[in-house]
Amino acid sequence: MAFPLPRGITPPEISFLAEMEMVSILPRQRLEGLELLGGPIEPLLPPRRATLPLWLALLLKRQRRANILPPSWLHPESLSLILDIETQHGDTKGAFSPPPPLPNQPSAQEHYQKRPVAIPHYTPDGNRYFPSSPFLPQNVAVDQGPVGEAPRLPFHWLEVGTMLLEAASDDLVDPDQTRRLLKELREVRSSKMRSGVDVLQSAAVGGNLVSLTGVGAMEIGENRGFISGVVDGLRRIGASKEQARREQMAGEMGSGGYGATQDDDDDDDMEF
Amino acid sequence: MDIDDILASVDQPDAFTPQSTALDHQLLTRFWVAERGVSELLPWPAGLMDRTMDRVRRQIEAIEDLAASSSDPYATTTTNNNNNNPTLNLKLSILQTDLSRTQYLVRSLLRHRLSKLSKHSMHYLLLVSPGPSTSSPAQDDDDETNDPHPQDSIPPLPASSSDPATTAPLSPQELAFLHAHQSLLAKHYASSFLSSFPPQLRRLDDNAGGTSMVQAPETKEVVFVRCLVDGARVVVPAADGEEDDIYATAMHVGDVAVVRWEGVRDAWGRGEVEVL
Repeated sequence: MAFPLPRGITPPEISFLAEMEMVSILPRQRLEGLELLGGPIEPLLPPRRATLPLWLALLLKRQRRANILPPSWLHPESLSLILDIETQHGDTKGAFSPPPPLPNQPSAQEHYQKRPVAIPHYTPDGNRYFPSSPFLPQNVAVDQGPVGEAPRLPFHWLEVGTMLLEAASDDLVDPDQTRRLLKELREVRSSKMRSGVDVLQSAAVGGNLVSLTGVGAMEIGENRGFISGVVDGLRRIGASKEQARREQMAGEMGSGGYGATQDDDDDDDMEF
Repeated sequence: MDIDDILASVDQPDAFTPQSTALDHQLLTRFWVAERGVSELLPWPAGLMDRTMDRVRRQIEAIEDLAASSSDPYATTTTNNNNNNPTLNLKLSILQTDLSRTQYLVRSLLRHRLSKLSKHSMHYLLLVSPGPSTSSPAQDDDDETNDPHPQDSIPPLPASSSDPATTAPLSPQELAFLHAHQSLLAKHYASSFLSSFPPQLRRLDDNAGGTSMVQAPETKEVVFVRCLVDGARVVVPAADGEEDDIYATAMHVGDVAVVRWEGVRDAWGRGEVEVL
């Protein structure tokens, strides 16, 4: 009555979030800087690039006041590289291609290329705050990406890609090929999502998790109802079993056998 | 918390710098996603909402001033230089779009909180009422002697409802709504069918037979989370009769996982995970 939408953000709301991603534009006219509620935007001076939220970039693009510089991952070459990773790697079969690292995430090549240590922001209430998507520059155009680093699909790849294809296809490199590759990626990844339902059972037990690292926002949105429905159904079925297991664990904790049981439980953590 | 953390938290940005506006916008967005994603009501972020509403108010005033200056030709010729005028409409539409986006976030957040409140109204009333365990036995004694009304089972409002600490997860406005809503509901139940029941069956928070009639939100439902610091642990909260929480699987930074909400609630409160 008060609010008709179900629990968990719905696909239109995910698009709304994706519109907060920052993208690079090449303005065609001057505009002074503005203080918006979503943060300040820099002044637009035509030959210089600017970084704006996607919704504003699309607004300017539709009025032919700017060109959008496509992010480096939204390029046929990068997309086919990612598609190769998604389809070929034997050892990571079933897992998604790795997502772009968070600022405070150690990368694989850290030993020779020292990353700046992420200093957490602080909220006015004094808590630590680590920014994440959509407030990371995952979709800005960079001239020279890190050498030797494979392109990564950002969290909002499907939404940003679709919106840019729809509104700014003349700014993209080979939009038809890009569209085809995005569609292929989507199919490969959604079949992985479907084939992973077997491990959902382990999430129905308390304290366990099912890892979905690398998944996109819209892919979560599509599968949220199904996954939470399945896991909650399994949890209700297994409630009495779990209760018995807890009692057994509590008993073993008393007799000192607690460490052994916990190791067993950790093995239940499976990758998709 | 080490000394750097303390220094950094003392060195907080001023509430009215553009940086703090951007930070609050990110916090509001994250809180909105979390509130939409989990089944129970999250603690009311009083400071964040006050700052956001204050900014919205000032932004509306700024837009009105700008719109007034554009419609008043005398003012524009005297105060503005010429290259400002062509972009004025563009500026106005950008500012209004931005305002609408923030208003949408706030509206969606509040409406979703209200829907959670009205779904589990008794649960939240008992949660915020002072000492429900001490007051209910006294009321039970009354039930034997007087003619009870279902309204009696509504806990009284906390005395100092203006103090945010007593209303824990609710804002004062939400608390007032909750109380009025439940009173109306109890009156309606009483007049439509509860008055024809035997007196001992009329309470709305009956827990005879070991099952409580008060429905609580299901904290075991799964949520999608992303881990933001290394080594955040999934917790199995202690059940009745157990003393310690069990710490299970640890997550690594950047991991996205499907996990029970009760297992990551504390980590969410510390900002170690975000709900997706």
